[in-house]
Amino acid sequence: MTIRPFIRNLAMLVAGSAAAQTPATIEKPAKPAAAKPARTWTVPRTADGQPDFQGVWNNGTITRLERPADLAGKEFFTPKEALEYEKTVVERTNRDQRTPGTEGDVSRAYNDAWWDSGTKVIRTLRTSMVIDPPDGRLPPLTPQAQALLRSQAAGRHPQPWGPEDRSLQERCLMFPTDSVPMLPYVYNNNFRIVQTKDTLAIYIEMIHDVRTVYLDGRPHLPSTIRRWLGDSRGHWEGDTLVVDNTNFNGKNRFSFNSPVDQNLHVVERFTRSDRDTLVYRFTVEDPTVYTKPWTAETTLSAAPGPIYEYACHEGNYGMMNLLSGARAEEKAAQTAK
Amino acid sequence: MPNRAKLALAIRFSLPLAILLAASTPAGAQSSVYRGPRTADGKPNLNGIWQAMNTANWDIQGHTAAAGHILSLGAQGGEPAGMGVVEGEEIPYLPAALAQRKANFEKRFTDDPEIKCFMPGIPRATYMPFPFQIVQSPKIIVMAYEFANAGRQIYMENPPESPAESWMGHAAGHWDGDTLVIDNTSFNDQSWFDRSGNYHSDALHVIERYTPISADAIRYEATIEDKNVFSRPWKMSMPLYRHLEKNAQLMEFRCEEFVEELIYGKYRHQPSTK
Repeated sequence: MTIRPFIRNLAMLVAGSAAAQTPATIEKPAKPAAAKPARTWTVPRTADGQPDFQGVWNNGTITRLERPADLAGKEFFTPKEALEYEKTVVERTNRDQRTPGTEGDVSRAYNDAWWDSGTKVIRTLRTSMVIDPPDGRLPPLTPQAQALLRSQAAGRHPQPWGPEDRSLQERCLMFPTDSVPMLPYVYNNNFRIVQTKDTLAIYIEMIHDVRTVYLDGRPHLPSTIRRWLGDSRGHWEGDTLVVDNTNFNGKNRFSFNSPVDQNLHVVERFTRSDRDTLVYRFTVEDPTVYTKPWTAETTLSAAPGPIYEYACHEGNYGMMNLLSGARAEEKAAQTAK
Repeated sequence: MPNRAKLALAIRFSLPLAILLAASTPAGAQSSVYRGPRTADGKPNLNGIWQAMNTANWDIQGHTAAAGHILSLGAQGGEPAGMGVVEGEEIPYLPAALAQRKANFEKRFTDDPEIKCFMPGIPRATYMPFPFQIVQSPKIIVMAYEFANAGRQIYMENPPESPAESWMGHAAGHWDGDTLVIDNTSFNDQSWFDRSGNYHSDALHVIERYTPISADAIRYEATIEDKNVFSRPWKMSMPLYRHLEKNAQLMEFRCEEFVEELIYGKYRHQPSTK
């Protein structure tokens, strides 16, 4: 399933030149937009006069959605602390993670040669993406949502009975990057934005998807129509694109430990703060899941592209192997009895 | 010698293509009388949601109506008749390839990649019974297809080298007057042209032409070249129609979920009762 890193590594072996295409190698040191505003820079505009967000962006980062416990009470890194934090985290993930033995080689076969999570903190130097609640942690779930989470976990067979027992990622249905809100994953964090007067298309590399944000003032879809990605309606507030998202089907599972239901409402705000930075802020509201709304902010960095085709489902031998392996183990256990 | 052989090969395969493309010009010239709405950079504005209105996805060649494959679906599952979209009707298969195409036809109800929700490839994505959306900017034109969330980026300037073969191919576009011309390469050999088993190899090369013929219609032409499968280039053409509904938008057909039982059902702990 890790087509992009595979191609990247293959290309590096063969040509030695494709490394320039990997976002990790071109990312510049974090230049916090807040700390060092580029005074001469003004947002470019499309021929239609809108702020121009077009290009390839990467949302990979080592900053977590929620503030880690050891950073409690600290909202921002200083630039020096950010560099140290980056160094520590990258060193930790960079080591050769092979565990001796065949089992270890297979089950922990992914080390940093395969990951492409990003190596930098978000450019605002925040220590978490969550900015509200101010402690950088998600608000408590409602009792209803906690019960839903428990029943989902209880219904799942550790030895998968069918595809439904595995993650949406493994089923090639949804990824944190191919979701609303868009959150980073461990690879394929690439997006291309293309704009017209009436639409903004987000071309998503992860498992191939295109999200269209309609800017022509049309109302949301009727509530009878539900979508995995929801229904996106945008408008400009100054130089910020505000996107209102509803009509979710409630079947997504977020990478953070929250259930998703049909009442999900996400408002996203995209602002280009300098040539290389798109600030992405979003508010998540779902009265049946969260005890209060919460807001997070991260940054996307300009990336060279290209965006590759990720044929996840078409090449999903992993799912076949997971399930046939589970059946083989069951059979072996039966025979042993 | 090798160079000469290469040149001879190039001439053999590019000359007929050139002739075919030249032959298509009069039709293009005729329709270029129409001058439609422009984008801010002065190009024909193709933005919108489009769909073919034909039965080419069943069979790109002319065909008679036929009963369906699944008894319980009755008339719903029947194949509608169609005029076909191949210019000159004949597809110039090489002898071995024709045998393969016949074998594909025999296995069409199990082997067509559409059944498994695989990306449809080009040109098939254009005439699937689903709409697609054009999002047109000066440097990149995105085409988003409702079926299987397939999409492609058409590079209108400085196309990068194709990183790898793919289902939807690698697309380099340019404007020829008011016609959007897309040169597509780097395909894999997995997709079919229709449900009847017409197919190609990974040597597939598709040149598409999108010519606006009214505010709400595009003349679509796709010239197909594949030295492993066809003895000469050939062409399909059809109109594409704009979705005029005020609320037209691309819907979601995330069919990966719909085919899990078909693909993975045999590996279940217990057979599905659905």
